[in-house]
Amino acid sequence: MATNKVIVTNLSALQLKYSAGLPRIRDAIKRSIAADKKRGLTTLLVAIDSAADMRAAKGVPVAAVSDQRQVKAALDAVWTTYAPDYLMILGAPDVIPMQTLRNPARGDGDENVPSDLPYACAAPYGTDPAAFLGPTRVVGRLPDLIGGSNPAYLVSLLGTAARYKMRTRADYQGYLGLSAEVWEASTALSLSKVFGASNALQTTPPRGPNWSAAQLAFRAHFINCHGADASPEYYGQPASGKEQYPVAHQAARLKSKVSNGTVIAAECCYGAQLYDPADSAGQAGICSTYLADGAYGFFGSTTIAYGPSEGNGQADLICQFFLNSVLDGASLGRAALEARHRFAALYTHLDPTDLKTLAQFYLLGDPSIQPVSGVPHALSRSKAFKSTFKGAKSTLGARAFRRERLARTGANLEQSLGAVRPVHDRAPSHVTRVLNAAAKESRIKELARQSYAVAFPESAVRGDLKQFAALRRGRSVHLLLGEKFAHDKVKRVVALVATVQDGTIVHMRRVHSR
Amino acid sequence: MTLQGRVVRKRVSIGSKSEHEALVLVTSEGEEYQLRRQGGNAFRDPELDGLEGKSIECEGIVRSGQIIMTRWGVLE
Repeated sequence: MATNKVIVTNLSALQLKYSAGLPRIRDAIKRSIAADKKRGLTTLLVAIDSAADMRAAKGVPVAAVSDQRQVKAALDAVWTTYAPDYLMILGAPDVIPMQTLRNPARGDGDENVPSDLPYACAAPYGTDPAAFLGPTRVVGRLPDLIGGSNPAYLVSLLGTAARYKMRTRADYQGYLGLSAEVWEASTALSLSKVFGASNALQTTPPRGPNWSAAQLAFRAHFINCHGADASPEYYGQPASGKEQYPVAHQAARLKSKVSNGTVIAAECCYGAQLYDPADSAGQAGICSTYLADGAYGFFGSTTIAYGPSEGNGQADLICQFFLNSVLDGASLGRAALEARHRFAALYTHLDPTDLKTLAQFYLLGDPSIQPVSGVPHALSRSKAFKSTFKGAKSTLGARAFRRERLARTGANLEQSLGAVRPVHDRAPSHVTRVLNAAAKESRIKELARQSYAVAFPESAVRGDLKQFAALRRGRSVHLLLGEKFAHDKVKRVVALVATVQDGTIVHMRRVHSR
Repeated sequence: MTLQGRVVRKRVSIGSKSEHEALVLVTSEGEEYQLRRQGGNAFRDPELDGLEGKSIECEGIVRSGQIIMTRWGVLE
C-alpha cells in the first residue's frame, strides 16, 4: 500500500526532552495516524535515529541530533523510498534541525538563514541557498517548544491536527489584517489581492495590541509588522517613518482567542522563528502561541525579511501566494510549496533579497491539513462518478496528478532559474560611477557595496531559452547600500541595484528601506 | 554572560523590512551587540535610551549579535 504521509522525528531527542512524558507523545502520534486513516491517508512514522526505521527507508540512522548533513540525507532517503504526498517534520529544531544556509543578503544582521527549504528539495546537503531553487516536496513542520520538557504542548498540536475540520471558503473570507502604519498601502494591496478588499485593515499606530476577541476570531490572519529575534511581539511604526515602534501584536494576548482552524501568513522579520521561551522570560513566540491556541498553520520567516517601500514584493508576495492557495482549497503543505514556486517563477534570476525570501519562509503545521474544501465539479454528483469513486468528491488520482505537476514545476525551476552568488570583484568603473552619481542625486551616504555574479544552471539553454544564453553571459548584479536623510531628518536606507550584462548596465532599481 | 562596553546608537538590519536605529554595545575588542532588555520593546525601549554614550556592564542572554539584558549598570 502506498504511503501518503510520513512523519519524521528523532525519538532519542524527544526522549531526552520529555523522558517519562514521551509515551504521551507516542500515543498522540498514534491517534494522529488513526485520524489520517479515517481520511484515507496511510501515514508512517519514521524515527530517523532508529536503525530499523532507516534500514527500511534505505538510509543511515542519524547519530547526532544536530548533524544537519546526516539529517538531510536521512530525510532524502525517506522521501526517495516512500515518495509520500506529505512529509511532516515533527519537532522543533532541537529535535530535527533546520538547515543552516548562507545569508545571501549579508550585512543585514543575520549571520545565516535557518531553513526548511532544503528538505523540500532533491538537491543534496549544502549551505548555498542558490542550490535549492527547485523545491518539489510538500513539507511542513509541526514543532514542539525548543528546550521543552512538558509534552502537553506537542500533544495538543498533534490533537488539533488529528481533529481538524475542513471548512468552506466563506469561513476564511473574513480576515484580521494587521500592518505597521508605515506599510499601510502595501498591506492594503496585499489584502485586496487575497481577499478582494482591504476595508478591514488595522494599523499600528494608532491601534493594537489589544485586538478584540471578534477581530482575533477570524480564521485568516495576514500580518505585515516589524518583528525581532526571540521576541513574543510584533511592532508597528507611524506613517511618518519616525523611529517609534509601538507594540502591534503580542503572544500573551492570544490565549483562548484564536479560532480553531486559523491560518496565518506573517511577513514580519523573525515572524515564524522558533526560539527557546527561556530567552524571552518564558514567553513562547507568536507563531508557537497561535498553534497552541488551535491554529492549523503559520507561514512566516525565520530571519530578517524584505519588502519594497511601495507596492508589493518579496515577503508581501510569498505570503499572498500562500493564502491564495489555502483559500483555493490546497493543503497547507501544497500551499507552502505553491507559494515558493509562484514566487521563484516571477524572476529570471533571484537577487540577494529574493533568494533570502525563498529560503526563509516556511510552514509550521501539519502539511496534510486542508483547511478550505475545494469546489467539486458537477460530474462528482453523477451516479457514474459516485459508483466509480465510492462516493468521494475528488479522486486519489487528482492528488497524484497535483504532486506530479508540483514536481515538474520545481524541476523546471531548478533547471532554468538563475541566482546571485557574491563575488570579491569590484564593480566595473563605469558601474561604480553610475552608482555614485545615482547615490549623489538621491542624497545617499554610502554604507556598503557588494557585487554578485548571476549563475544559471547548465540546462537553462533548452528550446527557446537558448536565445537568452548569450544575454545571460557575463550578467552581474551590483549593490550599493546607503543612508538617506529625508526632509523630516529621519534617516532611511536606500539600496541601489544595477544589473550589468556584457559590460552594459541593463537595469537599475532603487529599493527603499521599510 | 557578562559584557562591558560603550553604548552607541546605529542602524541595524539595513535594507530589510525591519531596519531601524538601535542601541549597540561596542566592546573594547570591537565586537558589537544590539542591546535589548528582557521583556522590553525589541525595537525601541525608552528605558534604555539613557545608556547612549555611556560605558556599561551588562548581564544577559547573548544570541545572534544581540544581548537580551537581565541586569546592567553604568560604569564610572
